[in-house]
Amino acid sequence: MVRLMSAPTYQEMIASLERYWADEGCVLMQPYHTEVGAGTFNPATFLRCLGPEPWKTAYVEPSIRPTDGRYADNPFRFQQFFQYQVVLKPSPDDVLDRYFASLEAVGIDLQKHDVRLVEDDWEGPTLGAWGLGWEIWVDGMEVTQFTYFQQLGGLELDLIPAEISYGLERLAMFLQNKRSAFELEWAPGFTWGDVYRENERQWSIYNFEEAPVDALMRRFADHEAECRALVERSLSLPAYDQVLKCSHAFNLLDARGAISVTERASYIGRVRNLARAVAELYLESLAEPAV
Amino acid sequence: MPSLLFEIGCEELPASACREAEAQLRERWLTTIGGEQGDVFVGPRRIALLVTEVPERTPDEWLQGPPENLWEKAAEGFARKQSVSVDDLEVREGFLGLVVPGRPIEEAVPEQLEAIVRGLAFGKSMAWERGGLRFSRPIRWLCAKLDKKTIELEVAGIRSGHLTFGHRFTGGEVEVPRADDYAETLRAAGVEPEQEERRRLILEGLDEIGGWRDPAGVIDEVVYLVESPAVLAGSFDERFLELPQRVVETAMQSHQRYFPLEGARFAFVANGGDPATVIAGNERVLEGRLGDAHFSFERDVAKGIEALAEELDSITFVAGAGSFADKAARLQELVGELGGGEASREAARLAKADQAAELVREFPDLEGHIGAEYARLAGFPEAVCSAIEEQYLPDSADGPLPHTEPGRVLATAERIDNLTVAFALSQRPTGSRDPSGLRRAAIGLCRLAVEGGLAINVAQLVQRDLALLVEQQAEVTDDPSDVADFVLERLEGLLNAPVEFVRAARAGAVTELGAVAQLAEALTAQASTEEFEHAYVAFDRSNRLAGKADGAAGTLDSSLATDEAELALIETLGQASPRIEAAVAERDFPGAIAAAAELGPPVDRFFDEVLVMTEDSSVRANRLRLLLDVRDAVGALGDLSQIPR
Repeated sequence: MVRLMSAPTYQEMIASLERYWADEGCVLMQPYHTEVGAGTFNPATFLRCLGPEPWKTAYVEPSIRPTDGRYADNPFRFQQFFQYQVVLKPSPDDVLDRYFASLEAVGIDLQKHDVRLVEDDWEGPTLGAWGLGWEIWVDGMEVTQFTYFQQLGGLELDLIPAEISYGLERLAMFLQNKRSAFELEWAPGFTWGDVYRENERQWSIYNFEEAPVDALMRRFADHEAECRALVERSLSLPAYDQVLKCSHAFNLLDARGAISVTERASYIGRVRNLARAVAELYLESLAEPAV
Repeated sequence: MPSLLFEIGCEELPASACREAEAQLRERWLTTIGGEQGDVFVGPRRIALLVTEVPERTPDEWLQGPPENLWEKAAEGFARKQSVSVDDLEVREGFLGLVVPGRPIEEAVPEQLEAIVRGLAFGKSMAWERGGLRFSRPIRWLCAKLDKKTIELEVAGIRSGHLTFGHRFTGGEVEVPRADDYAETLRAAGVEPEQEERRRLILEGLDEIGGWRDPAGVIDEVVYLVESPAVLAGSFDERFLELPQRVVETAMQSHQRYFPLEGARFAFVANGGDPATVIAGNERVLEGRLGDAHFSFERDVAKGIEALAEELDSITFVAGAGSFADKAARLQELVGELGGGEASREAARLAKADQAAELVREFPDLEGHIGAEYARLAGFPEAVCSAIEEQYLPDSADGPLPHTEPGRVLATAERIDNLTVAFALSQRPTGSRDPSGLRRAAIGLCRLAVEGGLAINVAQLVQRDLALLVEQQAEVTDDPSDVADFVLERLEGLLNAPVEFVRAARAGAVTELGAVAQLAEALTAQASTEEFEHAYVAFDRSNRLAGKADGAAGTLDSSLATDEAELALIETLGQASPRIEAAVAERDFPGAIAAAAELGPPVDRFFDEVLVMTEDSSVRANRLRLLLDVRDAVGALGDLSQIPR
């Protein structure tokens, strides 16, 4: 199959999504400055989905998943990839139609392809979060995860948000008909590999071989303590960053093989307890705005 | 009489939710509408009910009031409450009451339909509005028709109408003119609403392609994933055929719900789109998945199974119980203890090598299978490879056992070690909490002994394993000896013998699992024979008197026996006891029961003629000893007092 003349570059595809969701009334945010495993962890999703205020946002999020690195040797696995994250709170009745229109906006002809919604029960154990939704397949390729959040930080939600997470590499591979993310055309004359191959190689070495286990364990404990202290001082936003730092330290320790199966559950529980404490504090602060 | 159609239009429902709704509509809701016949239509975007011959009115109902004898006191109050006059009340079967006339069906139907929406229950449900209705996925429309008339109702903010929706991308909004036209209206809009028809179309399409397989049974799910089934076939690069077959099948079936075909081909069911485009896209996805697997496979094979096995000392099996290398060392000892030969020992050495394989990280359910394939590629004998493959069998309560002897030996060692480690590290299952499936492992052991014919002496194996754990400096915190009881208890639910017989047999002279099972079954089979009755009497009478009494002599002294009945019992015991023992040792349990039965009449005579609790303490002590010896001789057959008579 030849590449269609009209297939967008990676950056054009992102620009189309930005334009589409801006027209839908979303606040276009930027990636968060602290490592996150998914766009859900960005406070623009996790915290903003709590409480009674409506919220619409869209942003690119680099997803950092140390265990998924493959030293740039594997065309399908990376320790950093990109999600396009959309949150519509509350979810409108025609949310799926709006999503499908976004696929048309990046150039997918819905009548020509087999677009399917395949059951997916999402659970984020470190965030005390769950929801129901789908993997969205286009001709068998999973290009998006769609979730109606039901709980975050162990709390019931005032408004039910719809979270739409596009896997940008997969979507681009579908659009550009490429078998490797490294071959994706990022911009004319530049591939995804040109931009990130060396990054994948070096970070895989760091994640699997060099990340300092003892220091990470100490850092985990320090971030945990700092989070608790910040919660005491009612600073929910800085406290939340400490949750993210704990989560990332845990992910690195996991990649270093430093966490046994039994310890794993306990680490996850510690992060979840922090996330819950921050979520509760954030909700309280919404109820009693600071003077 | 009119037909009633009710359709609940949803965002894409999971297949499991479709099946739940289908069952509930058939079992509960078809009949409440009161029609003569009905159809249930269930698919990813709709749950619908079509009832034909609906009565024009709901039936009159009898509203029962107070008993007739309270007429004077209660009639007026009851009538007032129902807003009727006392003259309207009737008496039926001793009660006052009121006939409430039926209503026109149009009036009654909206309530009934709302009850359906609210009454459908799903294993997993969600809300899509704050505090709103819970359903499997959001409801987006309701269509309700009584013949040509649109029935109006509102549930959770959704108003019913005369519209339905066809195929999501090609069908659009369509009007249902009459209830009976529902299916045809949808067919014209690109949707096959009948699940059985969709199944027929899919099977027909697969058969046309030919040579299809469905080892994981995804067809039952696929029927509910599409509304407009189109069966298509694609192919993939033949180099992926060198992957272990179940890896290829799992990539196809559990990830993509494809059907494997002969060679490097697959079939799948699309819900629309241009066939050539859809096939090309799916081929690319499958090749991506297989490419990912192949990438790991090549790296594993380049290392080889021996090198993978050498990596096991850096992979933790269970925190506190060492690495997988430690586990493999224990398994090698245990298979020796179980009488396993060269193939079993070699299989035990390599059994866990695939825990270091990249491919197992991608396909965790295929542990064992992947190790076996790697052993085959390295040229190990088939007996070794199949034992590695079969080590996790049986993997369910009634799943198949390993087919080969080395497989059964390794599978047994694997379970003994899992149980011993968990118990020794104080991780016993409690109540319904059994995260590592220890009960299932214990049932597996019982089946390996009973059906697989393997001699399994649990207590002895656990002690050996514990000694190995201690040698390996595992963090043992608890005595795992009770693993034996934990396993034997599982026999109770497994055998064709009442629980009491299994409990009785567990207290007998045999400890090997299969022997306990045979003994329990022999006791059950003989329970109504005269011989069993005699053996039971000998055990029970002697046990009742002597079992709890103090002061029995240490050994029997025949010279203290004076009574004829006493001497007769001593003589019979002397003959029967070694015969019982020998028969039990040979697992000739009917023979042992026959030998024990000989003690019945002399025991009865003994109790008739001899006073045990006599004044003379040495004679008394000796008679108590005699009874205990009788009890213990028959007791080789178990604690017969457990068996209800």
